[in-house]
Amino acid sequence: MEHDRLGRLLPDGVDPREADELDATWQMLGAIESPAPNSERMRARIDAVMDALEHTPPSAIATAGKRQTSRHYVLQGLAAAAMLVIGIGIGWFARSDGSAFGGTRPTSNDATTQIAAMRTEMHDLREMVSLSLMQQQSATERLKGVTWTGQLDQPSGEVVTALLDALIHDPNVNVRLATIDALERFASRPDVRRGTIQAVQQQPSALVQIALIDFMVKTNERESVPTLQRLAMDPQVNEAVRARAAWGLQQLG
Amino acid sequence: MHAVRNGDVGKLGILFERYHRTLFDFLVRVTGNAAAAEDLVQDVFVRVLKYRTTWRDEGRFDTWLFRIARNARVDYFRNRSTDAPIDAAAEHPSTAPLASETLARNREVARLQRALMLLRDDKRELIVLARYRGMKLDAIADLLGVEVGTVKVRMHRAVKELRDIFLRLDESESWNTTDSVGSYPTA
Repeated sequence: MEHDRLGRLLPDGVDPREADELDATWQMLGAIESPAPNSERMRARIDAVMDALEHTPPSAIATAGKRQTSRHYVLQGLAAAAMLVIGIGIGWFARSDGSAFGGTRPTSNDATTQIAAMRTEMHDLREMVSLSLMQQQSATERLKGVTWTGQLDQPSGEVVTALLDALIHDPNVNVRLATIDALERFASRPDVRRGTIQAVQQQPSALVQIALIDFMVKTNERESVPTLQRLAMDPQVNEAVRARAAWGLQQLG
Repeated sequence: MHAVRNGDVGKLGILFERYHRTLFDFLVRVTGNAAAAEDLVQDVFVRVLKYRTTWRDEGRFDTWLFRIARNARVDYFRNRSTDAPIDAAAEHPSTAPLASETLARNREVARLQRALMLLRDDKRELIVLARYRGMKLDAIADLLGVEVGTVKVRMHRAVKELRDIFLRLDESESWNTTDSVGSYPTA
């Protein structure tokens, strides 16, 4: 073992007598045994999770690490260019000398109004890009769209609805998993709570079901208890999901 | 891990075979409960799948794995009233007669184990990482997000406090648990 002696782990200047006493305790710690794991049982539980995943198309699992498509770069580039233009506009209106580019300084009220309007436009543009990406054929682009929603300060109901729709209907496991993370910000909304409870019952993927159960525990969603009870008791449900649902019930109980 | 990150989830089995004992040992020593540790190992591997895209090549895999394990443990006990069952009465007394010297030694070890479980979580975790996992100081510092010097200072405090608790514990308190060397309850 790397640290059979305590000395090297202590800061300089510790009294040598104290260091010896502490080292004696350190040595005695080595005598505390720990039980061996039940590897067979644990492996069976992990295999159940992997079995569930094998029923998911490989293309749906593997997308997250793949390279981005050129179409995605075009969309992202367009959005970046538009935001640059809007940003320059905001900067121009915010200038204190009032004569940017030789123009006439707008009045204070005009400038404030226009800055606010540009900010709204930027926000709308981000939303539009997110929603647009989430409609793409490529799972990688949809994944990016879901991630983009995290950049929105106050997303509209349309974005939340699109996320819920992706959670239930998107064919790609990674997209659905990313959606769960994205929805965490809106966990207090009743439609999100209803949507996640509905999704956990409809999910074909055990991995997503487990992630949803984690979500419910994390957000302390007590309304999910009846659903989790059904999952935990249903012999048709994947074993790993049943175990996770039982764990979730313990946590929420 | 490269393969798992790129979607080959079948390779998770290889990771499991390689790391589950290490994880279990860490978790059982930190939680003091074998059943909880077993649940947590499964949770860790589910999280490895869930967060596999967040792993970066340049980082040490085992540090990333232990970070997941630490978070899993915190979540596991978040809604529970006690952090770990320190139910020493759940030990398995040996029926074999033991020499008095061995008995005395075993009592001390059992008492030290109780002291370890009475230590605050973060201190116990630090000791477990260094003493039982043999984790280097820089790896522990990376895992905890602090400087190496800070790890040393914390280590000093942790072991000092452990020794203090050990010395304060009434030996009669551990009398019932002393026929066997310290070990953890299995349920």
